[in-house]
Amino acid sequence: MILIPCPWCGPRDAGEFGYGGEIVPRPDPRTATPERWRDYLYLRANVAGWQTERWYHRMGCRRLLTVRRNTVTGEVRPAAEAVER
Amino acid sequence: MTATRRLDPQPGEVIDRRQRLSFSWNARAYPAFAGDTIASALAASGETVFSRSMKYHRPRGLLTASHADPNCTVQVGDEPNVRAAHRLVEPGMDVRAQDAWPSLAFDVKAVTGLAGRFLPAGFYYKTFIRPRSLWPTYERVLRRFSHGGVVSPHRPGSEPQRYDKRHVHPDVLVAGGGPAGMAAAVAAARSGAQVLLVEEDHALGGHLRWGDPVELASLAELRDEVAATDGIEVLTDSVALGCYDHLEVAVLQRGLAHVHERLVKARARALVVAPGLIERPYVFAGNDVPGVLLSSAVRRLVNLYAVRPGDRAVVLTANPQGDAAVADLERAGVEVVHVVDARRGGDVVRAVGRSRVRAVELADGRRIDCDLLLTAVGWTTPATLFTTAGGSLGYDRRTARFWPDAPRLPDGVFAAGGVVGDGTLEQLVEHAGVVGRAAARRAGAGSGDPPVVPELPRNPHPELFRGRTHGIVDFSEDVSSRDLVTAVQEGYSSAELAKRYTTATMGPTQGKVESVNVLAVLAEAIGRTIPEVGTTTWRPPYAPVTLGALAGPHRDPVRRSPLQPWHERNGAVPLVAGAWIRPDHYGDPVAEARTVREAVGIIDVTPIGKLDLRGPDVPKLLNLLYVNRWSRLAVGRVRYGVMCAEDGVVLDDGVTGRLGEEHYLTSTTSGGAASVWEWAESWLQTEHPDWRVHVTPVTTAYASISVAGPRSRELIARVVDDVDVSADAFPYMHVRTGGIAGVAGCVLWRIGFTGELGYELHVPAGHGLHVWERLLARGQDLGVRAVGIEAQRVLRLEKGHLIVGQDTDGLTQAHDVGLEGLVRLDKDDFAGRPELVWRAQAADERRLVGLWPRDEATVPAEGSQLVDAAGRLCGRITSSRWSPTLRRSICLGQVAASLAQSGTEVRVRLPEGGFAAAVVTEHLAAVDPEGVRVRA
Amino acid sequence: MPDPRRRPGRSRRYSAAALLRHGLRGDAWPPAWRHHDLRPSYDVVIVGGGVHGLATAYYLARNHGITNVAVLEKSYLGGGGSGRNTAILRSNYLTPEGVRFYDRSLQLYERLATELNFNVMFSRRGHLTLAHSDSSLRTMRWRAEVNKACGVDSEVVGPDDVTRLVPFMDVSHQPRYPILGALYHPPGGVIRHDAVVWGYARAGDAMGVHLHQDTELTGIDVRAGRVTGVRTNRGRIGTSVVLNCTAGWSSLVAGLAGVRLPVQTFPLQAAVTEPVRPFLHTVVVSGTLHVYVSQTDRGELVFGASVDPFGSYSTRGSVEFVEGVASHVLQLMPSLAPLRLLRQWAGLCDMTPDFAPIMGATEVDGFLVDVGWGTYGFKAGPVAGEAMAECIATGSTPELVSAFGLDRFSTGRLVGEKGAAAVGH
Repeated sequence: MILIPCPWCGPRDAGEFGYGGEIVPRPDPRTATPERWRDYLYLRANVAGWQTERWYHRMGCRRLLTVRRNTVTGEVRPAAEAVER
Repeated sequence: MTATRRLDPQPGEVIDRRQRLSFSWNARAYPAFAGDTIASALAASGETVFSRSMKYHRPRGLLTASHADPNCTVQVGDEPNVRAAHRLVEPGMDVRAQDAWPSLAFDVKAVTGLAGRFLPAGFYYKTFIRPRSLWPTYERVLRRFSHGGVVSPHRPGSEPQRYDKRHVHPDVLVAGGGPAGMAAAVAAARSGAQVLLVEEDHALGGHLRWGDPVELASLAELRDEVAATDGIEVLTDSVALGCYDHLEVAVLQRGLAHVHERLVKARARALVVAPGLIERPYVFAGNDVPGVLLSSAVRRLVNLYAVRPGDRAVVLTANPQGDAAVADLERAGVEVVHVVDARRGGDVVRAVGRSRVRAVELADGRRIDCDLLLTAVGWTTPATLFTTAGGSLGYDRRTARFWPDAPRLPDGVFAAGGVVGDGTLEQLVEHAGVVGRAAARRAGAGSGDPPVVPELPRNPHPELFRGRTHGIVDFSEDVSSRDLVTAVQEGYSSAELAKRYTTATMGPTQGKVESVNVLAVLAEAIGRTIPEVGTTTWRPPYAPVTLGALAGPHRDPVRRSPLQPWHERNGAVPLVAGAWIRPDHYGDPVAEARTVREAVGIIDVTPIGKLDLRGPDVPKLLNLLYVNRWSRLAVGRVRYGVMCAEDGVVLDDGVTGRLGEEHYLTSTTSGGAASVWEWAESWLQTEHPDWRVHVTPVTTAYASISVAGPRSRELIARVVDDVDVSADAFPYMHVRTGGIAGVAGCVLWRIGFTGELGYELHVPAGHGLHVWERLLARGQDLGVRAVGIEAQRVLRLEKGHLIVGQDTDGLTQAHDVGLEGLVRLDKDDFAGRPELVWRAQAADERRLVGLWPRDEATVPAEGSQLVDAAGRLCGRITSSRWSPTLRRSICLGQVAASLAQSGTEVRVRLPEGGFAAAVVTEHLAAVDPEGVRVRA
Repeated sequence: MPDPRRRPGRSRRYSAAALLRHGLRGDAWPPAWRHHDLRPSYDVVIVGGGVHGLATAYYLARNHGITNVAVLEKSYLGGGGSGRNTAILRSNYLTPEGVRFYDRSLQLYERLATELNFNVMFSRRGHLTLAHSDSSLRTMRWRAEVNKACGVDSEVVGPDDVTRLVPFMDVSHQPRYPILGALYHPPGGVIRHDAVVWGYARAGDAMGVHLHQDTELTGIDVRAGRVTGVRTNRGRIGTSVVLNCTAGWSSLVAGLAGVRLPVQTFPLQAAVTEPVRPFLHTVVVSGTLHVYVSQTDRGELVFGASVDPFGSYSTRGSVEFVEGVASHVLQLMPSLAPLRLLRQWAGLCDMTPDFAPIMGATEVDGFLVDVGWGTYGFKAGPVAGEAMAECIATGSTPELVSAFGLDRFSTGRLVGEKGAAAVGH
């Protein structure tokens, strides 16, 4: 499968990861209308091209990381804003 | 068997005449030498018919004499579809023709050939339509005509074949061990790269192996160089199946001594594609009659296996390789009766014969008697590695060939040899050397600027695909050029539609031998050029690979608790729960359940998910994940919680206890152990990275034992070291830490899943068995016994405790299962809150209720459907057992909200037929609904 | 160059007699469908030339007399999901709505060959879903009971019946994946997926529907909230009704109309082996092992599994897929180890949050959708076509598909098949 560039472990086969999907901003649950909330729950951009998304290194460092991936060609690049703690 | 056709020793032969073998073909014995393939040995004995064609059952002989030969697929013992022109003979091999009855020589199904004009490609779409009722019969007959070898059912006790896998990380993988591949491998290794060189045939060399003395000398030189260069691993009888994403190349290694096949998974930094070219057949009437072969097939037979393939030959040649075949034939003592030079306009119109070529008709009208016809009309470029890696190929008229689109070759993919150019052997080797250095550079080996790969010349070649008559295009699918033309006329006028309609390129050869001819014939029929019609996209795997090799060694991880040895010794019946093997019961689940209600039972609940939470912000996390409130959980207290997803659906449930100021232990369902941990981590790492919480999964760090029953306190008191377990000191829903039976670091909490006074002990896993056995030993007089999961399910059902994933499903929200009392909507943000708010305002759809069948002895199967008075489906039974405590059947079920009032009667559709009446109960709990016993 | 000896036959109708006649006289058959230029406008434009789009066009013509219809297909007919699926038909779903819906489809498939005069080769050989744990068996029981209550033939059978139906199945002691029983569904089976596409195309073409291959949608014109036309690589078409019948590309097409969908595109891979003599006469499925196996009439085994673990638009396939599917097949039938895999491929699936499709109107007037079909689109082709034709012709959503509206995602009323997602695997 494709290689995911884990910032801590280096490029690893995608099979080591859980897929988090495209990053969808979470609205404020206290003020969101039902329609807005359900947009967040269900609607997706589903881009055929470059997408910013999350992966979870389940069989590695167990960190969540963010990458830019081209969903058509399979090319993957680290995202500028990797999730760090 | 006729007289031998074996020649005197040839300079490049691969057979070892000192080792004579014997094998059987269709139950008759045949001789062979070590190094013979099944096909070469049979050809040496004069056999010319190897199979019957798929649809018309025409006799077929060798065509390409290589792995891709469509006409010599045979059954070897239990193994179907063996490529006879590649598989080496082993002593005693039992080889049989496939799908010819009663024999290869006389095949009854050949009658379909007579009906050929009524059975063109796709004929079955136009018939067998009426009457509909007869279609199953038609289908049974059609299946009889299916083509292929035989697989046998598993025979207990038989020794299965072994397969295994290997993972490698070469710097450079070179696919193809001909002169270009060898030169590229040597150059890459000399630049410092680790090289894996993969060659499909049994030895390195490619076409040099059946070459003239000069080529044989070059072959020896190149082989010596490969052997002498450090850093090259050579795999022969191995084939690259495809280049997947990010240069992951799967290689199938065959011919190993102790393993039938091995899948080698390579993650390369650079890939050199040097597979050479595949010779194409010519399409004309009679081109599939045995004795019509490709020039490369004949050169292989003569030079590698010392076989004289015929006595009188006609050769159709359009290139130097065809000319060289003429020389080889003459050297082998074959009378070359006529050479048809296609470069000068010569052409062959028909091959005459049925089981053997008898004569050839030329374009000028002459008819020449012969028993062998060779064609050399051009080449197919193996596309698999290019197209799977994301590249593409384009057709060039002048050279009559497909070429890789070099500028668009994916990063890290290089090409060498015949697939990128022609030229002398020196030119090809030199070019390949530069490619090898470039590949090494790309892989990070070597220094300096990457070398610039020069262009190779490309020789013109006449376009020769189909002659003036119609012939077979796809040999393995029995598709003729006429079939393709007809398909186009009928509207299947694109490459893809025509292929699917006729099944051309969809058989065992997968286009290797026929794809270019298919495109050419279609282009002609559609009235366009080849590039306009399509290009070749070859799908992986390049060569067929056994399921065994893909699966590899059989591995089925299971999880067992540390107490498993005791369970097995004491007759536990296993229950599969995910990857866990748990004790379902020990022989008498009813008695086990009674023991818990009346005395004390111990249950192995190790698979329960456990998370260790530490840090000052743990309450914030608990408040976020659970629907209820956690800010004021005191040290030593335990609380039950339910987790919902962002859409309000119940995800998991469990208890959490506070062990210290900043130390908590959370339990989850066993199925949810991994997912709840990930769920917690995703919140902590994305939305709340500022919270100071550490989560450590400790599911398998602890063995967990439930001790439940009216006498459980007494039993616990006998085994704990330093914990005061008296009723006042250790109330219900409290947690303590301490030592048990000499084991430090244990956690005990007092909860009541079974509805009785009870405790859950979490013991460091290595000592779990010790504590378990100590409990049994110390509790003998109390009547202690081991209790299995089945009894636990009955007990929890009697108490109305739901099981997430059984009494709830992917739509169930907290309100649906009566947990709305738990939900604290006045909390800040927690997972699921928005939907729970809106659902609280909307009408409910389904509710979880208790149900008692009117007939106490009727225990409806779980999953049984409920119907209302009007007969409409209105819910289902989610849990159902016979209660030993109440001596009657009890159930939980989901029903329409309008029927959820206590006392409502519904009907249960029984799977065995009929209906049973059931009444909704007031409480979910059938036993002790007030919960008195658990607080004892 | 057309062979001058072959003249177009008089009759278009397929039958054994016609085959005989054509064979004797050397006649050519007339084309199954014709090529047309684009009209400046059509009453209905259907985007997607797979089984859904072609069935909708056919039923528009046949049931409602609407023939001024264009089907736009960006490559060749059936080149998307319709040509890449594992061709399994069944109606043994979990919810009553699901069962009724897919059963209607099976009824249409049953008579499709005679209705379309094209042999689609529907083989009702029975469908077996294995249960490897008691929770899985419970879910099989749930499905069987719902099926029976809706009049569909399904039943839970034990390991002995499994062995009888599939002699190659290994039901001996297996610690990790024991075969505790199965859901047996006799009406299920397999079909020749390409033939379904060709049958609908030929029948639709005969009634005047225009099939436009190699025609790619490049834009949808929307003015004041309603559709006025579409733009393609071959020119513009005026229309007030556009139906999005694509799979894999539905988000892109919907985006052209300014509509957002709750869909994620995932590859679904499949593979086929070399042919061997027939030995498997039932479709075998294991939910836990995520594998589907059936044997074609040509003798090849066809394998399918679940979608890829991450979304993408790639149909390149992975070696991990074939490794996994081979491992699971051998788990069930270990003696198949010497059988060779011949080819792997992939199609694109649009996955929705509740494992149910999206059918009907959108917020843009005249822009309808028949999308979100996940891994169960092919088996629903006929019923979806019939329902969308009715939807378009009458302007109102048929009751059979009323639960599948796009608005369910803003009202939060997701469909019941999601119920199965969290249980019994």
